[in-house]
Amino acid sequence: MAIQKGHGIASIEYPTGMNQNGDPSQAWIKVKPDGRIDVFSGTTDIGNGSKTIQSQIVADTIGVPYDWITFDNSNTDSSPVCTGTFASRATFVAGKAVLKAAQRVRERILEVAGQEMEISPDDLDLDDGDVFAKDAPTRRMSVGDVAAAATWTYGELITGTGAHLNPYVPIVDSSTGEVDSPPHAAISYAACAADVEVNDETGEVRVLRLIQAYDVGRAINPALLEGQIEGGAMMGLGLGVLEDSYPYYPSVDNRAGDFGSYYAPSSADLPEMVNVIIENPSVDGPYGAKGIGEMANNAQPAAIATAVHDAVGVWVTELPITPERVLAALDAKSGGSGPRREGKHVAYDEEISINAVGTGLAWRAD
Amino acid sequence: MKITLNGADAQVDSPPLTPLLHVLREELGVLSAKAGCENGGCGACTVLIDGSPRRACLTAAIAADGSEVTTVEGLGTPEALSPVQKAFVHFCAAQCGFCTPGMVIAATAYLDKGGSGSREEITEALAGHVCRCTGYLKIVDAVAAAREGDFDMSVAAESPHTQVRA
Repeated sequence: MAIQKGHGIASIEYPTGMNQNGDPSQAWIKVKPDGRIDVFSGTTDIGNGSKTIQSQIVADTIGVPYDWITFDNSNTDSSPVCTGTFASRATFVAGKAVLKAAQRVRERILEVAGQEMEISPDDLDLDDGDVFAKDAPTRRMSVGDVAAAATWTYGELITGTGAHLNPYVPIVDSSTGEVDSPPHAAISYAACAADVEVNDETGEVRVLRLIQAYDVGRAINPALLEGQIEGGAMMGLGLGVLEDSYPYYPSVDNRAGDFGSYYAPSSADLPEMVNVIIENPSVDGPYGAKGIGEMANNAQPAAIATAVHDAVGVWVTELPITPERVLAALDAKSGGSGPRREGKHVAYDEEISINAVGTGLAWRAD
Repeated sequence: MKITLNGADAQVDSPPLTPLLHVLREELGVLSAKAGCENGGCGACTVLIDGSPRRACLTAAIAADGSEVTTVEGLGTPEALSPVQKAFVHFCAAQCGFCTPGMVIAATAYLDKGGSGSREEITEALAGHVCRCTGYLKIVDAVAAAREGDFDMSVAAESPHTQVRA
């Protein structure tokens, strides 16, 4: 028996949002009489941090402190339409909807402030909750006073809507019949390098280190981004070496039926991680951002597979790379004289296992 | 049955074999302990019983009779967070938050029992708690830092695992 070390690398490109249309996001923003901001958006925060990200975009775009924002996505009936949290779109597509709504709110705040201050809105700026004259910054009024004037003096609600929908372009050119798929709104890129140890007797693969680089466009919230990268890495590690309801040894009756027997990665599987974040702004994302939600667990299994090949010289072409699959590949490579334990041939045969329901015969002993 | 829940007396009227998790969530209205797998596999329901971390889903109410039960509500308040709670906020060690109460309870018990704060010990202490969002890294960093104590809560922690390149 020996522990073999190997290194591997894999890369990925991934589109943000859905190609073609049919994927709208809408947002509505209103300003309370005291200047605080209510954002209504249909995006469900499933732990990806979209409430935080969209609130940051609104606060920065209008020019008010982050803690003035209330983000409400509590109700399907009253929320504007958002097709959902999928396709890595919550920052890029839904973020653009709130960005456009916030731009309109900012414009209207400046117009009302212009009336109050008797200055052209073009000569006003808005930052950190205060409207001020660009060339005389001491002339200023707070957004709270602007909103109060709108409410009590002008009988107006300062509000703005925004929506984003990628345009429809036919995939097939009807005159030529050629497939002409238009470019996606933004493409994210990433690469992952894996260091592994493979036990060539038991077939066990241990991931020691993952080094990952992500081109994210712009890291709107670096801490949440890291969480997405690190969480994606552990999901990718699970897909790579652990997660399957297979193998069913010694028979299919013993397959994983609950969390206790399903091999989700735990903290004990945590490898060393190095994250590299590359900010290469996209031309049309909110503040240059792209989406990386879904791609974050794609490169690791391939990187681990190449690392296993580097370690023991076999390609395991099915995921997850379980001990049985490593042993079967080693056995095939050696022409049947492969790994043995206590004198017995331990190569594992998936066909036998699948067909062994009720017989308990999963191991090919010779 | 009577328990001391987060320092206050609580009367329990559920049948004696009701899982403590259901007593907490449905009879006593404490919702921080989460019903994940409800068979001891995920760790999301973990509470302290007389200072030790226990799966509330596998503990019959009668087994907790007369005990001190502590959930995350009993560790700190929003104004005065416990060291572990502070560290989880500072290190952004939660995403969807479902596993977080169990993680915080397990980390608190580990540190209360004099854990050394080494990475190997922390990953072992938390190994019975499944998290599918964070990748565990920020959680482990948070627990290690909680043992050291003080940090500046006005800013988020900078991850030692990340480099940003323009």
